Amino acid sequence: MPTTNKQPLLRASWALLLALLLAGCATTEGVSSFKSADDTGNLRESEQRLWHEAESYDDTLERSGQVYDQARATAYVQGVMDRLFPEFKGKITVHLYDSTDLNAFAMFNGSVYVNIGMLARMENEAQLAALLGHEATHFIEKHGFQKRVSAKNASAFAETGVPFSRLAAVSSISGFSRDLEREADAKGFERMVKAGYDPREAHKLFQYLADEVQALHIEAPYFFSSHPDLSERIEEYKRLSAQYKGGGRLETETYNAIMAPIKLDALRKDIGQDRYESVILVMEDGSKSRYYPPAGYYYLGEAYTRRDQKNDPAKALEAWKKAERQAPKFAPTYMRLGVYYMKSGNKKLARHYFQQYLGLAPKDATDRGYAQQYMSSL
Amino acid sequence: MKRIFALMVVALLLAGCAPKPYWTLTDQKNHTVTSTSFEFGVSDGWVRTTEPRTWERLEIDGAQRTILLESMTVTRDGTGLQAMTITRRYPDTAFPTIKKKSVPTQLAPEVADLYVAELRKRTGLERLAVLSNKPAKIDGKPGFQLVMQYKNEDGLRIQIVSYGFADKTGFYTLTYRAPYLYYYERDLKVFNDLVGSFHQLKGAFDPPPEIPGWAKIFT
Repeated sequence: MPTTNKQPLLRASWALLLALLLAGCATTEGVSSFKSADDTGNLRESEQRLWHEAESYDDTLERSGQVYDQARATAYVQGVMDRLFPEFKGKITVHLYDSTDLNAFAMFNGSVYVNIGMLARMENEAQLAALLGHEATHFIEKHGFQKRVSAKNASAFAETGVPFSRLAAVSSISGFSRDLEREADAKGFERMVKAGYDPREAHKLFQYLADEVQALHIEAPYFFSSHPDLSERIEEYKRLSAQYKGGGRLETETYNAIMAPIKLDALRKDIGQDRYESVILVMEDGSKSRYYPPAGYYYLGEAYTRRDQKNDPAKALEAWKKAERQAPKFAPTYMRLGVYYMKSGNKKLARHYFQQYLGLAPKDATDRGYAQQYMSSL
Repeated sequence: MKRIFALMVVALLLAGCAPKPYWTLTDQKNHTVTSTSFEFGVSDGWVRTTEPRTWERLEIDGAQRTILLESMTVTRDGTGLQAMTITRRYPDTAFPTIKKKSVPTQLAPEVADLYVAELRKRTGLERLAVLSNKPAKIDGKPGFQLVMQYKNEDGLRIQIVSYGFADKTGFYTLTYRAPYLYYYERDLKVFNDLVGSFHQLKGAFDPPPEIPGWAKIFT
């Protein structure tokens, strides 16, 4: 007769056996990629479940205001996606994600989210094509599903009650395995080249990330994950592009004209969450700042003020003056210059700038009241 | 008899050990809430924290830190439905997550900008939108009135109004947060009355307290 203290051991053995059996069932074999848009209608039950959960997460993002509302830019990015993957037109939907982190992610149902921070940092359509090619490959090759299956956590999900939708997105953001990332790099790159884009632009995407990682002292880079590491992927893209003579579609002007409001808004948002290093990184370097609207110098001035090192007050003034010269209709610069001269005791100039600000700023500008208050006190 | 006496002594001792309740219901006898460095009025039927909160744990650059502050909260139906929080932060740790100090010479919009940046960074709420930023007077001191909003994951709009000012004793905020739907408008007058009744006390000018010994272990 078995003693009672053996029962837990027995139960544990059964549980272990069951877990092993379940783990044995979890395999990426049989996970076939989407060949065309029609395939998205032929999903296995487990895939259908993931699809619906991803849709539910789409709804959450939309409902909670995390989708960036800019119709022109969204249509443009969608157009580039459709150019890369014409056979999936209508099945891969691009959304702009309201975050200045350099990130992008694909969901199992074909929703691809590109952060506005990433859009702001890129310089041309070819770089965007490299990014979209990579993310759409995650969807087409069902990397989200593979990751889940290979992690053998399908049953664990049900037990823990962790909603897949959340994890799916997190998975996408935090990256896939080294092999899946490499596959997305290579297949995305092929698409980019096939669509006629300049392949030499692809590696720059990773260079921005490497710069950002250094500027913000980030330990583990997000987007595309840290596996394989950034420098390795930069080299891999360079190796891939070396096989081509170069040349091809860039669309630098079109890209920057459409992204101009987003670029400016990303700078504003970076300052608004104290990421001044990021603003200094792009606006201090002429080779990067030339892709930003000149009003961006206003935010460079703000960034110096936040950093507050020895020569930063002078640098801030110089940046605001540059913004005044190059973007004379941009109201916030005048508010800043008004405050600067008021603090330094130059009432005449302060009054001049506050007046300029009140003339240019919209009637509902959030800080209009301060300019009026300071004007009356001068 | 001896036993009854002993029981009474034990009961009295236990009563002495009983902690103060976290919340206190406001009635006609305790309209005024007095903390160490500030005082304000609360309406009947509302509840407020009995004692000021004097520290908080924050994650800064991946490490947990103890930050001293002085904070009291008022609500009626629960902090998820409406929360009015009055906080004093000490100058050196006025904006701890963004590592900025408060300085009396800072202008109100500069302080407001730092405050919003601190909130966004601390909560990860990048999408916290500033709807308005106006000059305001709090206890006769020049400050700001910020109205902010964000949507939670259920799509519910949460509105926040914050009054704030910085002086040599630190950075003060009086904040009201409620769902925009129904609650915000309903209780706004109560909050405005609270702001009108707020004033600093002499205790604000005492030297800042030390971090408690136990907290230093973690810091």
